Amino acid sequence: MSNNFSPVYNRRSLLKAAAFAPLAGLALSGCSTKSSSSAPANSTVTVTSYGGSYNDQLTQTILNPFAKQSGIKPTLLANTSLAGLKAQVQSGDVQWDLVEITAPEYETAVAEGLLEKFDYNIISDKGLPGYAKADYGIKYLSFLFVMAWDERVIPDGKAPSDWAQFFDQNRFSTKRSIYNQLSDSSVLEAALLADGVPFEKIYPLDVDRALRVLGQHPGKDKLLYHSTNQEPIQQLTSGEVALSTSFNNRINAARADGAKLNFTPQNAVLAGDYFVVPKGAKNKEAAFKLMNFMSNDAEAGAAFDKVTNLTLANTPALSKLPKEIADSLPTSPKLAEKILLRDDKWWAQNLKQTEQKFKLWQAS
Amino acid sequence: MAQATLARARPGAGGPPSGAPPKRRRRAGWLLLLAPVVVFDVLLFLTPLGKLIGSSFTGGAYARVLADPLVTRSLVNTLSIALTSTAVTVVLGYVIALVLWRSGTVMRVILFAVVLLPFWTGILVKNFAWAVLLQDNGLVNGFLHNIGLINAPLPLLHNRFAVIVGMVHCLLPYAVFPIFSSLAAIDGRLALAARSLGAREAAVFRRITLPLSAPGISAAGLLVFIISTGFFITPVVMGGPGDMMIANEIDYYARQLTDFPGAAALAVILTVLVSIIAAVYQRVLKAGGQHETL
Repeated sequence: MSNNFSPVYNRRSLLKAAAFAPLAGLALSGCSTKSSSSAPANSTVTVTSYGGSYNDQLTQTILNPFAKQSGIKPTLLANTSLAGLKAQVQSGDVQWDLVEITAPEYETAVAEGLLEKFDYNIISDKGLPGYAKADYGIKYLSFLFVMAWDERVIPDGKAPSDWAQFFDQNRFSTKRSIYNQLSDSSVLEAALLADGVPFEKIYPLDVDRALRVLGQHPGKDKLLYHSTNQEPIQQLTSGEVALSTSFNNRINAARADGAKLNFTPQNAVLAGDYFVVPKGAKNKEAAFKLMNFMSNDAEAGAAFDKVTNLTLANTPALSKLPKEIADSLPTSPKLAEKILLRDDKWWAQNLKQTEQKFKLWQAS
Repeated sequence: MAQATLARARPGAGGPPSGAPPKRRRRAGWLLLLAPVVVFDVLLFLTPLGKLIGSSFTGGAYARVLADPLVTRSLVNTLSIALTSTAVTVVLGYVIALVLWRSGTVMRVILFAVVLLPFWTGILVKNFAWAVLLQDNGLVNGFLHNIGLINAPLPLLHNRFAVIVGMVHCLLPYAVFPIFSSLAAIDGRLALAARSLGAREAAVFRRITLPLSAPGISAAGLLVFIISTGFFITPVVMGGPGDMMIANEIDYYARQLTDFPGAAALAVILTVLVSIIAAVYQRVLKAGGQHETL
C-alpha cells in the first residue's frame, strides 16, 4: 500500500524542486556575484573609458605600471557613459569606480549629485596643471578635435588646412563623416570657423548659423554621421568617406597601425575629459590612488603622452618628453595660436538644448 | 521487484481511482508545473515592467516627451517603416511559402535552408553585410558602374530604402513559417476537385488557396508588424538620421539626455500604441469573417 503512494510523493517533491529551481538558481547567482566583488575592498579598481586603440594605450602606459607599483588590480571597460553612471548610482549598485566623462557631462553629473568628492589628501595636486583640478573630478585629458583625411584619395599636399576647405564641396566632392553628438565633438564650432568667425567670437555659439552653414556646405546629402570615436577610422579606411572629423590620437594610432590617414592640428579644437568617481563606488580609495599615480608619476605620464599624443594632466611628465613630442601635444604653446579652446562652461549650460536642435536638424 | 510495483503504480496514479480528491491533487500538480514560468515572469518581466511604468509617471515625463518634435517624428517613422516593411515582407513571404509548398523534397530542403540561414545569423552581421553591399563604393554600385549603367554611385545606403531592405531580410522567416503552415494544412483534394470541374490554376489560387491560407497571412502580418516596431540596430547601421525609429529615440533619451523617466514614458507609449493597433487589427479581421489569428 505504501509502495503505491511513494511514486506520487516522489513526483510531487520533484515538482516542488522544479518549481523552486529557478529561485535557487537566482539565489546562487546572487551569492556568487556578491562573493566575487566582495574581494577585499580597494584591491581592485574598475575604470571605464571609450574603447578602441585608446583603451590599449591607457592600459599599457598607466594601468599596468600602476598595478605593478600599487598591487591594485585595475579592470578597464570600454563602455563609459554618463547614463551608465547615473543608472548605477540611482539603483545603488555601483560597479564602476573611475569613470571617464566629457566636460559638459561633468557639470551635469555634479549638478545632479552623482559624484564623490575628490580626496586631495590621497591625490597630490602638485602634478596637476591649473585647469585640471576640480572638486568632483580631474580634467585628466586634453585632446584635439581635428579634420582627418584619407591619403589615398587626398594627398597631404592637397589636404584641407582649415574648416572652410574641409567643408568646401567644390574642393572635395566626396562625402564627409561628422560626429553625431556634441558632448565630445566640436562640429558646430568647426562650421562657424568655416564661415569665417574668428576664434574669439565663436562663443556664445550661434547654433542656428552653424547649422545653416552645414546645410549649405557641404549639404546634408554629403554628410555621414559617426557615433563612436573609432568609427571614423573604419569609414576612412574602408573608403566610405575621404574626410572625417576625428581626434588627433585616433588618427595617430591608426597611422601607427599602417593606415594611410592624416590630420592637421590647424584649426583644431582643444577639449578635455574628466575622470570622476560615482557616488557609492566600492573602491573609491583605489580610484583616488590611481588618480594620484596618473597625475604625478613622471615616467608613466611621459609614456602616455608619447604613445597617445594627448596631454595627460601630469606636469612632471612634460620635462621627460623629447622637444618635438612636447611641441605636438594638444596643450603645447606652439599650437596655441592655431587652435580654438572649447568653452566648457557654455557647453555645460547649453548641451541638452543644442543636442536636441542638432538632432532635429539631422532628422529633418 | 521495485520496478514491477512502479510499473503498476504509474497507471494507478494517472487514472481516476477514487473520486474527487486525487483529481484535485492532479490539477494542483499540473498548476505547479507552471510555477517556474510564473516565477520567471514575475521576477524578470513583470517587476521591471512595473518599475518602468512607475518611473514613466515621475517628473512630468509624458508632457516633456510628447512636446518633443523628435518624438513625434520618430513615432511617425516607426509606424510608416513598420507598415511598409510588413507589407513587403508578407508579400515576399507568401511567394516563398507558396514555392516551398509546391516544390519537391530536395527543392524544399534547399529553400528551407535559404530561409533559415539568415534566421540563424545575428542581425548585426546581416545589417553590416548589407552595408558592405549597398555603400557608395560597395558591390552593387561597383557592379553597376563597371557595366556602364551609372556614372555616379546610387544612394542605396543611409536612407529609408536601405532600412526597409535590412528589415525585410530579418523579418522574412517570421512571415514564411505561419503562411507555409496554413498552406500545408489545405486539403489537396480541394484543388483536385476544382480542377476536375474545369477551374484554371488562377481560379484555384483565387478561390481555394488564397482564402484558406488567409489565417496564415493575417498571423504573419501581425507577428511581423509587432516585431518591426521594435527595430533598433537596422536604422542605426543602414538608415540616415531621418530614419530614426522610436527605439532609437528611447536610446537617445536614456544615454544621451540621461532622461530615464522620459525613456520609460516613450517605451510605454510604444507598447500602448502597438497594443491598440494589434487589437484593432484582430477586431477588423474578426469582422471580416476570420477567426484564427495570433
